[in-house]
Amino acid sequence: MEYIVETRKLTKRFGKEFAVSDLAMKIPKGEIYGFLGPNGAGKTTTIRMLLGLMQPTAGSVRIFGSDLKKDRINILKKVGSLVENPSYYPHLTAAENLEVLRKIYGTEKNRVNEVLEIVRLSDVANKKVKGFSLGMKQRLGIAAALLNRPELLILDEPTNGLDPSGIIEIRNLIKRLPSIYGMTIVISSHLLSEIDQIATTVGIVSKGKMIFQDSIDVMRTFSKQSVVVKVNESEKAWRSLMAKGIQGELHDGKILLVDKTDQEIAAIIRNLVQNGHDIYRVEEDKRSLEDIFLQMTAEEERV
Amino acid sequence: MYHLLDAEWLKLRKSKITFIMFVGPIVGMILGLTVSTDMFPDEINHWFSTLMVMNLTYALLFLPLITGVLASTICRYEHQAGGWKQLLALPVTRGKVFIAKYLLLIVLIFAMQVLYLGAVVTIGFIHQYTDPFPMEIVWKSILGGWVATFPLAALQLWMSLMFKSFAAPLAVNVIFTLPAILAVNSEKVGPYYPWAQPFSMMYIGGDTKDVFFIPWEQLITVVGGGFLLFFLCGYIYFQRKAV
Repeated sequence: MEYIVETRKLTKRFGKEFAVSDLAMKIPKGEIYGFLGPNGAGKTTTIRMLLGLMQPTAGSVRIFGSDLKKDRINILKKVGSLVENPSYYPHLTAAENLEVLRKIYGTEKNRVNEVLEIVRLSDVANKKVKGFSLGMKQRLGIAAALLNRPELLILDEPTNGLDPSGIIEIRNLIKRLPSIYGMTIVISSHLLSEIDQIATTVGIVSKGKMIFQDSIDVMRTFSKQSVVVKVNESEKAWRSLMAKGIQGELHDGKILLVDKTDQEIAAIIRNLVQNGHDIYRVEEDKRSLEDIFLQMTAEEERV
Repeated sequence: MYHLLDAEWLKLRKSKITFIMFVGPIVGMILGLTVSTDMFPDEINHWFSTLMVMNLTYALLFLPLITGVLASTICRYEHQAGGWKQLLALPVTRGKVFIAKYLLLIVLIFAMQVLYLGAVVTIGFIHQYTDPFPMEIVWKSILGGWVATFPLAALQLWMSLMFKSFAAPLAVNVIFTLPAILAVNSEKVGPYYPWAQPFSMMYIGGDTKDVFFIPWEQLITVVGGGFLLFFLCGYIYFQRKAV
């Protein structure tokens, strides 16, 4: 498989603390890679090392199949990035900010207008960035990351600190990108809900270690379905089910049935009705990805 | 490298740099206005006497101090809102970024020296000097003063890269610049103190045998050596800086 980004035993130590340890990140071409983890898990540190902003203590980074240490300039020509808080020159206008970067990339002049159009900032192109809202600055940062038509786009917490409408706008923008440009995208976030809807592959870090890395579909299989039944005399009902060899859990006066087929559920309900129990509610309780994510990171915390 | 300088120039042009560059020459001019040629014997060229008075404050204080302020200014907008991390994630080497900043800085200092020359000429016109303009000596002074700031510019650039705040590099600058007032009066320390060199190299009363007003050995060891030391320290620091 062709990996656009591949790190081997990537490690960063600050004093005695390991911010990132033995991280093996593998990002296949054309994927939207959701890089997840709680705050302080080492996401930004990893991204800084991917861009050569920080030297790893140990390990290596390969991007587009070449070693970052040896071929940094050629790699960065094809990478666009937005690291942590948006970066900008406050005394320049939006267009001037992009013009500074355009001059260094050497892309054609009209590209500035194109990227401003993509992030819908054309109206404020000639306004100074210091007066921009956080959402506008964030969009300007994405525009900057798109200037060189990158093959790899790295966005670190692109929706951090935005209001819901800003988040939706950024999300829609990101969703449009791969189809138009065929690029590989890395998005980091501490919220799974951010990534849930756009990522195709997920990597979860906790305390600097990769604890899960696979397609989002694989992650979804972790979510077990269960059915909650609310009845009168729940304990008695539960005992009667147990007596018939049906596994269930009693929880706050509700019976929890895990991993049952539709037929099994139907049989159980019929059974309860025939035994004279009143059934108030039958609900499906699907564990969200968020729960899985929390559980995975919590397990790591305990170790 | 050209693209990088072009980008630097755009960032700089829109900042408040012009105001800063005019401070030194304007102060020099105010001093020049107060010069009364009666203070000097008649046989001395009036341009000389004016330059002597103006140089004292300008070369001793304002030139070194403003060199530092300019260095901080060209780093300020990078520190403000994550400029460094954006700049260094572009396909540029850190070495080139450092050299571009340094070149920009010494070009600015040169421009300030030219403005100062303009101030001297203006004073002459105001006072209606009739003496011949000592072109050779004046240029020697202007260029010499510029060359003398090379090590100071390198140190101040290093400090400005290191500290986010405007005050810290300025404090370093003041701490080293003020003793220059004493140093220039000392025959022992004066020639070896880098911060005294702008004055020594602009001091038109100096020895005119060499290309500049100071001996070659002093130029190479103190100015050249100081430049090498500070430039390399700044360069190496910037290579390793985590952003």
